[in-house]
Amino acid sequence: MKRISIVSAVAVAGAMVLSTLPAQAADPGVTSTEIKLGLSSPQTGTVALSYGKLPKAMKAYFDYINANGGVYGRKIKLIARDDKYLPTQAATQTTNLVLNDKVFALVGALGTATHTKAYTAAQLAKNNVPDLFVNTGFSGFDNKTKYPTSFLILPSYAMEAKIIGKFIADTPTLKPQASFLVAQDDEFGVDGVNGFKLAGHTFTKTTLYPQGSLSSALAEGALTGFSAAPGKPVIVLMGTTDTTATILKAAEKLSLTTKFNWIVGSVGGDANTLLALGVKSTTIDGVMAASFFPDAKDTSDEYVSQFMKINAKYNPGVSFDNVVLQAMNTAMLTVQALRAAGKNLTRAGVISAIETKGSTFASAGLAPLNYSTTSHVGYNGYWFGQLNAKGELLPYITGKRTLYTTDSTTTSAPVLSTYERKPIPKNGIPTN
Amino acid sequence: MLQFITAILTSLSAGAIYALMSTALVLVWRSTRVINFAQAGQAVLTTYIGYEVTVRTGSYWYGLIAAILSGALIGATIDRFFMRPIFKRIKSGPIVMIAPVVATLGLLGIIQAIIGFIWGLSYQTLAAPVSTDGYKISGTVIAFSPFNLMVLLSVTITMVLLTILFQKTNIGLALRASAYSPEIAKLSGIKVDAVRTLGWAIAGAAGGLAGMLYIPNSYLYPNGMDVLLVFGFIAAVIGGLDSLFGAVAGAMILGFAINFVATYVSYKLVFPTAFVILILVLLVKPGGLFSSSKGRKD
Amino acid sequence: MHKISVNRKRLLTFILLGWALILIGDRIGELRQYQGAFVAMYALAIASIILLTGYSGQLSLGHSALMAVGAYAGALSINNLKLNPVIALIVAALVAGIFGLILGIAAARLSGPYLAGTTLALAISLPTIANQFTILGGEQGILFDIGTPPARFGEGFSQYKWFFWISSLAALIMIWMISNLMHSKFGRVFRALRDNQTAAQLAGINVGRQKAVAFGLSAGVAGLAGGLLVMLISGVSPSAFPLSLSFSLLTGAVVTGVYDLKGVMLGGLVLVAIPEIADSIGSRVGGSDGFTMALPGFLVSALLILAVLFLPNGPGKLLKKKRNKQDNHTEGNK
Repeated sequence: MKRISIVSAVAVAGAMVLSTLPAQAADPGVTSTEIKLGLSSPQTGTVALSYGKLPKAMKAYFDYINANGGVYGRKIKLIARDDKYLPTQAATQTTNLVLNDKVFALVGALGTATHTKAYTAAQLAKNNVPDLFVNTGFSGFDNKTKYPTSFLILPSYAMEAKIIGKFIADTPTLKPQASFLVAQDDEFGVDGVNGFKLAGHTFTKTTLYPQGSLSSALAEGALTGFSAAPGKPVIVLMGTTDTTATILKAAEKLSLTTKFNWIVGSVGGDANTLLALGVKSTTIDGVMAASFFPDAKDTSDEYVSQFMKINAKYNPGVSFDNVVLQAMNTAMLTVQALRAAGKNLTRAGVISAIETKGSTFASAGLAPLNYSTTSHVGYNGYWFGQLNAKGELLPYITGKRTLYTTDSTTTSAPVLSTYERKPIPKNGIPTN
Repeated sequence: MLQFITAILTSLSAGAIYALMSTALVLVWRSTRVINFAQAGQAVLTTYIGYEVTVRTGSYWYGLIAAILSGALIGATIDRFFMRPIFKRIKSGPIVMIAPVVATLGLLGIIQAIIGFIWGLSYQTLAAPVSTDGYKISGTVIAFSPFNLMVLLSVTITMVLLTILFQKTNIGLALRASAYSPEIAKLSGIKVDAVRTLGWAIAGAAGGLAGMLYIPNSYLYPNGMDVLLVFGFIAAVIGGLDSLFGAVAGAMILGFAINFVATYVSYKLVFPTAFVILILVLLVKPGGLFSSSKGRKD
Repeated sequence: MHKISVNRKRLLTFILLGWALILIGDRIGELRQYQGAFVAMYALAIASIILLTGYSGQLSLGHSALMAVGAYAGALSINNLKLNPVIALIVAALVAGIFGLILGIAAARLSGPYLAGTTLALAISLPTIANQFTILGGEQGILFDIGTPPARFGEGFSQYKWFFWISSLAALIMIWMISNLMHSKFGRVFRALRDNQTAAQLAGINVGRQKAVAFGLSAGVAGLAGGLLVMLISGVSPSAFPLSLSFSLLTGAVVTGVYDLKGVMLGGLVLVAIPEIADSIGSRVGGSDGFTMALPGFLVSALLILAVLFLPNGPGKLLKKKRNKQDNHTEGNK
């Protein structure tokens, strides 16, 4: 007994000691030829539908930049690890990225439950590891005490809810109707519910469901209940694309598609995916959605068409949709952040570069970037659109794309913004 | 009123699908004393095969036949080449309980990985062969479509066929005897091993049918039937793992409980409801609702 | 006399092990310290499975839920009751243990797959319950901060090393306690339950009560492991305890031998090392998207199947024979 216990211990010890790492000097992840960036995201598992395309799309953009001189001659290497959308995996994978892969910075980290744990576990604050352009709408990351190195990019779900709330209140055909909220029972739902409260909007009924549990049977039951309301009630769907598709298809089955005014959230509202999941184009036609990007199908938009070209060449076989657009946009912002930090690339340098110059970076988003020394918030606005039968999101008032900006925590109403997006750098290669 | 009718109809549809999964699990349990977690993977794999056949031939029905046949084949293969060697090596003790569970879990992972290799990780959709629009009854559309009817009929026919098989045929007798007492069955000249493999084949076919009936209302991806497996297992336990009738009864009870609680109380309670129903049943009848009192000693 | 010295031997072994771990902790880098802390935590969780299944013959698919109960209890003690983190870990074990005891009493009459089904249903429903009560923090969860290492350990004592120490020592102490328990009358009673319930009953053992006790003990150990887990990820949320965690623990128990506690450290190592090795193999091999993403899962599952096929009783099987001889000798001397 004594023998085997010690044998086990020695085996464990041996395995560990053999991989002891030497000490580091200066900032890790940067050499004269290479910059290493790390991404922890769900590549497998049920959420992979929505986010599986992220790593390759980002890598495609980085490959494009590398083929065009890199960042001051340094090539970007993206190391993507699969965290299966589980907090424990996110914590260990992010720690791996920092301690094992020795990345210079993290980009595009995903999920609230996952990243809040990973941030602390990997000691990102202590090591001053830049946590660039986090892929989540959770407003809690804008907190310089808790997450000093994190920079948001997406507008928060609370912002989205506030703006949708204002839209409903401002639109004569929607305001008097009953309204229902169907949201995923996690950060989507909670942040969203709070946002609607801040906007002063009360729903007739709020339905929260655990992720992955809303089957078609349950969706049919819910819609039947809503259909008892008179007129043309508003239904707001804040969940992932597969659940949004399930609900819309349930409406088709019950011939209730025209009974409701549909509003889909930005995460679940990707029309391409909805159509691919079997929703009819006649159902999509007329669905309203808020967005902060141009439509991923809008080839007349210079950012969309440039990213499409890069996607076709460096990420062949993958269809271009909102996720790919978002990923490439984040990658382009990352490149600008690295450039802005100068040739002598340090972690502290990147962080202060985004704080001081980030708001002037070129990006595909139609809302302004709000980086400053006191705010790490990225986009803070949405415009309201309506899908047509082809799945294109067009401004709700024809020809006039009106953008509203707001915050995540106060009751102050969203304001109309006159922000004009910066034109795309030539060929999509930043020269800042 | 409409809400109540909808709840009943959706419960029936959900219960029918759970019934196929729980039946498959009960079939395997009765013949091998194994909880086959790989069932979720087998069913999805056979649905992918059915999907490919449907896409290539343009007919759902060919796909359905392909799914059922491949389900039977895959089920038989797993028993013959996977479970049998495991049982040869494990004879007694609690390891008999736990090792096959872990083995089928491993098998589930392998099957899902293979699906990922071949078809990638994105979602596919499978169109139903008949309309999925609800029937219209005096002006109102109800939550019951021709496809729901087809599912209900298919499940009913399958259960009737299985009952006839088990109760009225010689093969059925052999299946029951081998499960009840393998040693005595062997003495009677029954090829116990072959019969057991047949049991797995039938279970696999049931799983294949389940997938083709379920996926049109959901999506086809490697983890697509994981939740269904969990509900199917719970349903089987509620009904009593030794009883096919129990499998269906348990599935219906579970389907009704989940849909009614979700509709009238809260959608957040879907999983806790399953737990509560299960524990209520087991507190009263520890062997499930319809377990035979003179079952084989576990 | 013989019995006392066996216990002393065990205590000495564990003390030596503890010493060895502290020395090891000094030599390995931060990443390995962090991973080592996970190894210890998983080892403890696997021990809870072995206690329940290997010793008392009950199968649980829901130990992730028991870990969650302990984790939330621990987190709440730190945040709401402002208790010392070490006390919080003890609270985690106690609360989970009591919960497990109650569950065990309710489930005492259930055999094999019926118990398995119940624990499975528990595992999938407990996490969603966490979202019902705002005090439990919803999806974002509650922070679990074990605190920084005490100042007297100096500047070079990293947080990861502190995790490693706490995790390893907690696991070591708990496993030592269980080990003692299993070599006492308790252990014999449990094994009697496992091997032949009817005979145990005839021998005067209150089967229902002992099964519940075993469940409670196992739950307590799992609860402590849960507390350690959330210490390592700095917070608890429902999604940290998915059903797959239960399955991983079972896997670890089977791969390293479900019958005795000796292999638990190896089991913990397997749970930490194999996914990482699979990950790195996956990233080195090229191929299509679906291939590289699904490869790690494939390798882990394949390993599992190979282990079950070729080592169904775990590498400890050979030792069992030896120990049986020793035990028989001890029995004879009673």
